[in-house]
Amino acid sequence: MTLTSKTGTRVIAATALLALWGCGSDPALRTEASASGIRAAEEVGANEVPRASLHLQLAKEELAKAKKLSADGENAQAASMLSRSEADAELAVALSREDAEKTESQAAVERVHQLRQDNKLLLD
Amino acid sequence: MIKFILPVCLTGVGVFSGCGSTPPAELVSAREAYRHVSVGEAGKVAPAEVHVAGLALAKAEKAYKDEAEAFRIRDLSYIAQRKAELAGAIASITIQQKGQADANKTFVDTQGKVLNQAKGDLSATQTALMETARLAAEAEKDKLAAEQRARDAQAALARLAAVKEEPRGVVITLSGSVLFASNQTVLLGEARTKLDQVAAVLLTTRERNITIEGHTDSQGSDSHNMTLSQGRADAVRSYLIERGYEADRIQAHGLGEGTPIADNASAEGRANNRRVEIIIAPEAHTSN
Repeated sequence: MTLTSKTGTRVIAATALLALWGCGSDPALRTEASASGIRAAEEVGANEVPRASLHLQLAKEELAKAKKLSADGENAQAASMLSRSEADAELAVALSREDAEKTESQAAVERVHQLRQDNKLLLD
Repeated sequence: MIKFILPVCLTGVGVFSGCGSTPPAELVSAREAYRHVSVGEAGKVAPAEVHVAGLALAKAEKAYKDEAEAFRIRDLSYIAQRKAELAGAIASITIQQKGQADANKTFVDTQGKVLNQAKGDLSATQTALMETARLAAEAEKDKLAAEQRARDAQAALARLAAVKEEPRGVVITLSGSVLFASNQTVLLGEARTKLDQVAAVLLTTRERNITIEGHTDSQGSDSHNMTLSQGRADAVRSYLIERGYEADRIQAHGLGEGTPIADNASAEGRANNRRVEIIIAPEAHTSN
């Protein structure tokens, strides 16, 4: 076998491997990050905050789509969709925390206001 | 490569890759989201998250520029937008936490002021109450002392003359024959001694008003007796003023034979009627 033939064989083999990889070799889809992100969002009460609830729902839908794409052999698209799910879950957690912090901050300001009102005569 | 791209554009497969077509909506949204957080407060309070959002957007832009698959450009743009929104949310959390910390500090400071003010007010009130109590105790002490002086004065008077309490006041009755010679209005020598003692007692209650009434028996005419009794009352008044009693507080009246206290038919009765009464007004009438 000549050098060209040897090279050509290697190229063909590599191409075949790549083809196998690209079309239906179905490596396991790593859904742990997305799933745990969704759980975390639920635990911090994202369902109770409108914006957070929206992104939590999107994260779940995107996770389901990713699994379907993976099952259909569209692994690159599945991985990309999974990344979207992780991003939405992460945002749902942050929006839920933001809402909680706003509520606590407003309560703290109101406490000060009430204290000043209750002691107006003393403080004037 | 160019031979590959142009046919794709021409067939309108809808590959959103740099062939001059409009970038996908997701990429436009991602750019806007990043612009929003990078110019706002998030850049100051959440710089790390804004940086991550910038990197995500750069990745999407590269995919778009490199004409990657449509789904990859869309997904990377979508993720870049989410990262920008995440940066905004984290910045907001930081700002809210700071606001809460400031409010809590203000609460504690204000509570402290309220407490100090209340302590100050309490202390002032306690001091005022103590002062009020002290003044009340002094006033009570003064009152008791005044009452004792009055009692002492009455007891002293009782030793000098006939003293009686009547509605018009304390009445000291001095016999006319002790004070004056018959039909005279000049005080006898021994009368002055007695009047000195009466004056000494009266001066312990010098704030009280005094009325001096001269009386006669029924012998002689009414007009003569009026004149005589007035002259005698005036003589006693003048003497008491000499001894220090305020002139404004002493009045003298001659009542003649008009108010006898005994029967003018007998010598004893007539002697009793010939008298001078010194009336010390009750305390309600102390001021003119």
